[in-house]
Amino acid sequence: MLEQQIVNAISLGSVYALFALGFTLIFGILGVINLSHGGIFMLGAYAALLLLTRVNLPFWAALPLAMIGAGLLGLAIDALILKVLRKRGAPHLMPMIATIGAAILMTSLAQGLFGSETRRFPIDLFDQENLTFGSISIPLLQASITGLSVVLMVLMIWILRRTRLGQALRAIAESPRAAALLGIPVERLFHLTSFVAAALGGAAGILIGLSFDAISPFMGQPMLHKGIAAIILGGLEAVRAAVLGGLFLGATEVFAVTFLSSEYRDALSFGLLFLVLLWRPQGLFGAAATRSA
Amino acid sequence: MRTHLLPALLALSALLAQPALTRAEDIRIGLAEALTGPASQYGVPIRNGFILAQDAINAKGGINGNRIVLVEEDERGKKEEAINVYKKLIFQDKVLLAFGPTLSNSMFAAGPIANSARVVAFGTSNTASGITDIGPYIFRSSPMEADVVPVTLKTAIRHLKLHQVGIIYGNDDAFTKSGYDVFKQALEAEHIAVVDTETYAKGDVDFKAQLTKLKAAQPDAIICPCLSEEGANILLQARALGIKVSFIGGNGFNSPKLLENAKSAAEGTIVGSPWFDGNPSPENQHFIAAYRKKYGTDPNQFSAQGYDALFIVANALRKIKLTGQLEQDRQALRDALPAIQFDGATGHFAFRPAPPHNGKPGGYDADQTPFVYIVNHGKFTLLK
Amino acid sequence: MDWSSWWATYSTLVLSLGVYGLMALSIYLTLSCGLLSLANAAFMGIGAYASAIVTLQYEGSFPAALLLGTAAPAAVALLIGVPVLRLSGVYLAMATLGFGEVVRVIALNLEITGGPLGLNGIPLLTEWWHVLLALVVTVALLQALRHSKVGRAFEAIREDETAARLMGIATERVKLLAFVLGAAIAGLAGGLNAHYTFTLSPGNFGFESAVDILTMAVLGGIQGVAGPLLGGALITLLPELLRGLQEFRMAANGLILIAVVLFMPQGIWAPLRFRRRPGK
Repeated sequence: MLEQQIVNAISLGSVYALFALGFTLIFGILGVINLSHGGIFMLGAYAALLLLTRVNLPFWAALPLAMIGAGLLGLAIDALILKVLRKRGAPHLMPMIATIGAAILMTSLAQGLFGSETRRFPIDLFDQENLTFGSISIPLLQASITGLSVVLMVLMIWILRRTRLGQALRAIAESPRAAALLGIPVERLFHLTSFVAAALGGAAGILIGLSFDAISPFMGQPMLHKGIAAIILGGLEAVRAAVLGGLFLGATEVFAVTFLSSEYRDALSFGLLFLVLLWRPQGLFGAAATRSA
Repeated sequence: MRTHLLPALLALSALLAQPALTRAEDIRIGLAEALTGPASQYGVPIRNGFILAQDAINAKGGINGNRIVLVEEDERGKKEEAINVYKKLIFQDKVLLAFGPTLSNSMFAAGPIANSARVVAFGTSNTASGITDIGPYIFRSSPMEADVVPVTLKTAIRHLKLHQVGIIYGNDDAFTKSGYDVFKQALEAEHIAVVDTETYAKGDVDFKAQLTKLKAAQPDAIICPCLSEEGANILLQARALGIKVSFIGGNGFNSPKLLENAKSAAEGTIVGSPWFDGNPSPENQHFIAAYRKKYGTDPNQFSAQGYDALFIVANALRKIKLTGQLEQDRQALRDALPAIQFDGATGHFAFRPAPPHNGKPGGYDADQTPFVYIVNHGKFTLLK
Repeated sequence: MDWSSWWATYSTLVLSLGVYGLMALSIYLTLSCGLLSLANAAFMGIGAYASAIVTLQYEGSFPAALLLGTAAPAAVALLIGVPVLRLSGVYLAMATLGFGEVVRVIALNLEITGGPLGLNGIPLLTEWWHVLLALVVTVALLQALRHSKVGRAFEAIREDETAARLMGIATERVKLLAFVLGAAIAGLAGGLNAHYTFTLSPGNFGFESAVDILTMAVLGGIQGVAGPLLGGALITLLPELLRGLQEFRMAANGLILIAVVLFMPQGIWAPLRFRRRPGK
């Protein structure tokens, strides 16, 4: 049973980590808590669903197209809302409230357009096969999704740490003004970040929609809560920390069920969250010792 | 003779004086359901069932020539909106009776408003216990879990030869939690051991940790008082983990969506519910065909209950004489309802008075025998 | 429509206007001290549960219920305030959101709060003048506070906490005062709310309401007590006013939020837009 639970923990954790990835990217580089990330996540899943069922595209084409769609949505939010607030030097509250407005708008539109029923991807889209190793079993689909998430996460971390682009982005995260003085095209990179973060959010929606068969206009909200929890646990500013935070949250939930009781699962994870905020506000895996953002 | 003649003459002169009155009048009935927000996945099918019934009744001449008009309001599944909407229906739209709200919690908020205004609040989807304790104007056509679950369980025990079971349910939702409470009681009464109890929260999509634990406890069956969208997911993940035993569901499992979403993973699932899509009665088959034709999707239990509820009220309306005096008509409708019996999409229906609560009179619960059925080769099949 | 049927239809909405006005004021108080706390919905919940338990399970009087409803969240705020208020900015927002979730999970698991079924059959005790009185007292208190030494300390902390500390302001204690007072007002609002809505459940005071309440203050503007009151009224009325849009009404709600943030960054009620400095 324990081996199976370890597999479960990795699979759940990578789901949270994938969602947290785009969320933390925006926070780290733009300094904005983007509460519309759950909406983008949801619309990404719907976009893929429509491309697969209405346009009859194969999955390998639907995934990138839906990701681009989600990315463009993120870009629009940045260009129409966040940029205005940036220019004005608005306090933290403002982007939070504007993105809440955007999230409400997206949920409501999705409900009007697609109905409020839970939908799923066509069941015959993928093999429903199981990989079995001794007492452990993993659906093949789930294993591929975990694999794909890991690839996306590693790729992002590699870009941020090892490339010139990543270097420029990290400079912006430190101080946009200093970065601009160094000749870094700050605005363009803000747009790029918004696009990539939203595309990753859309990918998360598609992959999670695929593995759990639950696409609904309201799927973004609970995931947003988990995303917030993941980045607080891991650390608000670094992508690597948030990914670890997501994995840690998944593991906490699974092992709370395994060793304690599923009734205390949420109490435990939120209690832990609270403690981390009080004793280690930079997060369990965050390096910077800043307390105010 | 003279005494009868005078009112008749008066009535005749009134008719002559006001020709407008001879035209059919609308009978206004309120319908408060969650049409937006997460609860709309139940509220919208309920509304659809009601509209279908309204059209059917009016197409056949309404109530003695008067049309039934549903005054529809969205209560968003929120308690304050449920109160506001109920007040609007009762005091402003002056409806004879109000249906809804969708969720039990909203009924706990809106019911007292109707009860103190002496207007019937008629729930079609509220299964929590205590609803009809609000007062004598509270009616519901949805059988309580406490009525459905023991029947389901007895049938399942007989069919599956159960000795020990596991349970998984949502512990942050009034519907699933009260389903669990009733199952637990029924299991104790039948002396069935519970080897493991697991919970989840609203919005969860991954149930593998709980299911892995359930699997290790080796139950003969897993009891799942869940809603159908979680249910399908739980079934699929359970099968992927190699759990082969049957699932036993409550009210929420009873949906064509469960089969559509879970496909073969649903095989062997036993469900108890007041509505059964395979029920061959002409009323039910007619309802299903008409629903498909109008909305292009399959109905579920919630639409069937809404559909039947309007016919129940229509039958009561046929029994009374509407005077145009709002308060009098509301009271007359209230007094006519308890005696109504009806054979509809959900089978035979009658009301049962709720026992008095703290010395105060209660309302009326549904008195219906649930269907117990099993998923066999991808179809719901009745279990004897 | 005559007055009595108007009142019969809209009395609950009017009470809600007052109660959410109180909520907006409670978050205005913490915001005016520079604290981005999202715990007020949870404090409202604690107040609502505490007061409903008094009237429902102990058959206590309404004043006693409201008193406990005000005191209980204040006590909790005092307890968690000391560690939590070391955080600031976004971290404080996150911590207080986390606190809200903890409160919700506790309410779900306790016997006395009725678990997920909540408390039902709460007596109808709140009358319009209770709400009005609570509003008047709160507004008077906040106005008096604003023009006192404490109020100026709030402002100093909001502008620059380090400078305020250097000026000799006991910033920790002042912030704690704002946090506790805000919790008390929210608790009072919760107690009043519980006694005209008949029922309470743990979901009533979660993330969504925390965000709603914050929006009220920001939408109205936080340059004075009029702004939050206006914002509270608007957010409460908006869904009613947009009812005609049916399933797209929440979409309009979202659009309005975005528009206000973009085009009226000071909120709707912003006297300082016209005068750079308040005339003294």
